[in-house]
Amino acid sequence: MKTTITGWLFDIYPNETNLTIWLIGEDGKRHRFVQDFAATVYAAGPSKRLRELWKWLKAQAVPVHLSRTERKDVFQGMVAVLAAEVLQPVKLDELFRSMVNAYPDLTYYDADISLPLRYAAAFGVFPLAQVRLEVRGETVMSITPLDTPWDLEPVPAPLRILSLEPDCDPVHGEPKAIIVSYERVRYSLPLEKRIPLLVGLGADLRRYDPDVILTSWGDTWLMPLLMELCKESGTALPLNRDESQAVVKRKEHTYFSYGQIVYRGRQVQLRGRWHLDRHNAMLWNDYGMEGVLEMARVTRQPVQDAARLSPGTGISSMQFVTALQKSILIPWHKNQAETPKTALDLMRSDMGGMVYQPTVGLHRDVGGIDFVSMYPGIMVRFNISPEVPRAGADLEPAPGAPGIVPITLAPLLNKRLALKSALLTLHRWDCRRPGYQALASAHKWLLVTCFGYLGYKNARFGRIEAHEAVTAYGREALLRAKEAAEDLDYEILHMYVDGLWVHKEGCKTPADFEALLAEITERTGLPISLDGVYRWVVFLPSRVNDKVPVANRYFGVFQDGSIKVRGIEARRRDTAPFIAETQMAIMEILAKAEDAVHLKEVYPRALAFVRKEMDALSAGCVPLEKLLVSQKLSRELGEYSSPSPAARTVRQLEEAGKAVRPGQRVRFLYTRGRPGVRAWDALEPPDPRSVDVRRYQTLLKRAVETVLTPIGQSVIGGKENECLYLFPAKNAEPLGEGGTQRLDFLSISKVNNSVNGGR
Amino acid sequence: MGRTLPSATQVFLQEEQAFARFRRALRRADQLALDDLFVSARQHLAAAQYASHALPFEVFLLAMLLEEHKEVMKLRERTEVILSRQK
Repeated sequence: MKTTITGWLFDIYPNETNLTIWLIGEDGKRHRFVQDFAATVYAAGPSKRLRELWKWLKAQAVPVHLSRTERKDVFQGMVAVLAAEVLQPVKLDELFRSMVNAYPDLTYYDADISLPLRYAAAFGVFPLAQVRLEVRGETVMSITPLDTPWDLEPVPAPLRILSLEPDCDPVHGEPKAIIVSYERVRYSLPLEKRIPLLVGLGADLRRYDPDVILTSWGDTWLMPLLMELCKESGTALPLNRDESQAVVKRKEHTYFSYGQIVYRGRQVQLRGRWHLDRHNAMLWNDYGMEGVLEMARVTRQPVQDAARLSPGTGISSMQFVTALQKSILIPWHKNQAETPKTALDLMRSDMGGMVYQPTVGLHRDVGGIDFVSMYPGIMVRFNISPEVPRAGADLEPAPGAPGIVPITLAPLLNKRLALKSALLTLHRWDCRRPGYQALASAHKWLLVTCFGYLGYKNARFGRIEAHEAVTAYGREALLRAKEAAEDLDYEILHMYVDGLWVHKEGCKTPADFEALLAEITERTGLPISLDGVYRWVVFLPSRVNDKVPVANRYFGVFQDGSIKVRGIEARRRDTAPFIAETQMAIMEILAKAEDAVHLKEVYPRALAFVRKEMDALSAGCVPLEKLLVSQKLSRELGEYSSPSPAARTVRQLEEAGKAVRPGQRVRFLYTRGRPGVRAWDALEPPDPRSVDVRRYQTLLKRAVETVLTPIGQSVIGGKENECLYLFPAKNAEPLGEGGTQRLDFLSISKVNNSVNGGR
Repeated sequence: MGRTLPSATQVFLQEEQAFARFRRALRRADQLALDDLFVSARQHLAAAQYASHALPFEVFLLAMLLEEHKEVMKLRERTEVILSRQK
C-alpha cells in the first residue's frame, strides 16, 4: 500500500544495495527509507574499444545496464558514448577503478560525481528541501520537491542540536571534562571517569536523539577520543543514528590556496545524524550554522560535506548538477589545452583587473561606488562560459543559448541581489537581518571563487579564455565608469577592480550620486551601488616608501559614523589585540567629528588617548593576553632559513611536546633577550617584567602614526596639505633617504598644543 | 591565477633595477631627483598595464614626462598669479 509523507530531506548515502534516505517528517518523527537509484558512467573512444568494454562490463559481477548513445561534451560537441548504468550505486567507484585499469585509453565522463549530487540532479532536491515522498513500506516510490534552494525564507527544519565541547582547547592544553548541552540542559562529564562518561553520553544520545552533534574540535580530537574509549572499554556509543553503518573518517591535510597555506584537520562524519565541528568548518566564524545550511542548500552537497568543503568545491558541485540536468558530459580528466595566441594577443589578454594608485592623503566628501558582484555579474550578463565563443570586449552578450556557467550562477546571483536589496530596506534591528547576512556571506564566497574556477586548468568547466574574457569586460566596465564620472565632472580619487572613489564639490548625500549611478549602469549594463558617502577617507602610502601609494590601504568614516578600514594594522590577524584595539579606538574618536572640518576638535582627544595608552604600556598595565601576537606557520620548521618569531615559538612548543603543522596559528609574546619570543599556549605565562616593552611601543607607535599622521597633516596644515601630491611645493624640506619627511606624531602633538593653546 | 607574463609592477621593478648602476654613479642630489621620476612613473602603472605596450619603458618615460608636464602647468599657473599681482 502506498502512503504519502511530507517533511525535510535530511541525509542521503549509499547502503549495500541502494540508497538510504532520511527524512524529518512534518509529524516530528525521523524516518529512514531506502530507494533504488542507478548511477551512470559514460565512456568515449574508438567503436572497437567500446565494443570490447561492453563485453567486459557484461562479464562483471555488478549488475550494469548498457546502451550506446550520443551526448554533449562542452569542449568537443556531440560525442558517441557507451552509457553504463550501475544499479548498485555503492559499487560504482570500485567498478570504475577496474574499468580504468582495463581500458586506460578511453575517455570517461561523469565518473567521480558523488551520489548525493547525482540524486539532487535527478530529482531536483537538495539538503533540507521540503519534499513529498510516496512510499511503499520502507521503499521510496517517488520524491517531489516542494521548494527550491533559491527561496529567501525557507521553512526551517526542526533540528535537534546537541553540543559537545571540551573545557579547554586540546591543541594547547589538557582538557579535563566534556561539556554537554542541548535545549536547557547543560552539564559536564569528567574525562577521567571513562565508563560513566560513555554511559551518560550514550543515554542522552538515545533519549534526546539529536539530528546534529555540534562539537568543538570534534574532528581532530573529541570524536577520535570517544571512539577510542568505546573500543577500549567495549561499550557501544550510538553516534550514528543508522547503526548498520560505520562512522566515516577522513585524513588531515595541508594545502596551498590563494597564496596561503591552509590546514584542514581530520574529519569524522556520521550516518543518519550530522557531526559538525565549529573548528573544522570552513568559514564557520563568518557565517555559522545558518551559513552552513545555506551552503548545503545551494551547492546540494550533504550538510556534513558542505560544512567542511572549500567554496571552490561548492561552485564545482553546482556546475556538476547543472551539467547532469542538462545532459552535458562532465569530463573525468580534462584534456583541454589553451588555444595558441600571438605574443601581442597574450599581452593584451593576460591581465587581471585594473588596480590604480590612489591619490595619497585625506579626501573630503567621497562617494564609494562598487559594481555588485562584478565578475559573476559579467559571466551571467554577457554569457561567458567555456563552450560559448567570445563576442569581443564591447560589452555585448555573446550570442546563442546561455552556457553552463551563466545557467549555474544566475539563480545564485539573483538570490544574492535580492538579499542585498532586502537588507537595505530592513530596519537596523530587524530580526531577519543576521540570518540574511549569513546567507549573503555564504553566497559571497561562492561567487568570489566561481571566477577563479573559470580559469583554473583542472576545473572541469574551466577555460583560460573565458577567464580572460571576464577580466577584459571588467576593465572595460571600470573604464566606462571612469569616463561616465569624469563626464559628470567628478574627480576620480581611486579605482580598484570593481570599485571607484569619486569626489565632486557639493556632493555629500547618497541622492547626489544617483545620477552618476544611473549613468554608469546605462553605459555598462551592470548593476552598481553606492557603498556609502565618506565624510572623509585617507588613502595611505606604502610603508616602505611614503611617496608611493598602495591600492588597498585606507580608512575612512561614512556619513552615518561607521568606520571602514582596509589593510591597516587593526585588520591584520597578526596584530596584538592591544594595538588593534587602540587603533580602532582612535578611529572611533575621529568618527565623532561630524566632518573633516571638525577633525581639529577631536584630534587632541585622540592624542591624549594615545598618551594614556602609551603610559599604560610602559607601566606594564596591559594584560599579557592583549599583547599576544598570533602568526601562521607557513612551512615546516626545518624549512626556515632564518627562524621567524613564529618558528622560534614553534620550537618552544615542540620542546614542550606540542606539534604544530604548517597552516596552523601559534600565539606568542615578544620578550627581552634571547630568543625574543615566548610561546603562549602550553607553557606557563612568563613574568610580566620580561615583556619587550620597547618592541610593543614601536609597534604601537607605528599603528598610531598610520592613522594620525595624515589626520595631523590636515589639522595642522589645513586643506592645502591634505593630499600629499607628488612634489609638495610648500614647506618641503630636503628629502631624506627613502622619500619625504615624515611627520612624527610626538612632534605633531607639540605643535598641536601650541595651536590649541595647550590642553 | 597562473600568469604567463609579468605584471606591469614587476616590469617596472625590473626596469628600475636595470638602472641601479646608473643611479649609483649619480650625485646624491641627482639620485633623489631620479627617484622622484621613477615614483612619478609608478603613478600610472594601471594605465601602463592596460596599454600592454611591447616596449614598456617607453610608457614609463611618457608617464614621467606627463607628471613633469603637470608640474610645469601648475608652476606656470602660479607664476601667472604672482605676476598679475605685481602689475
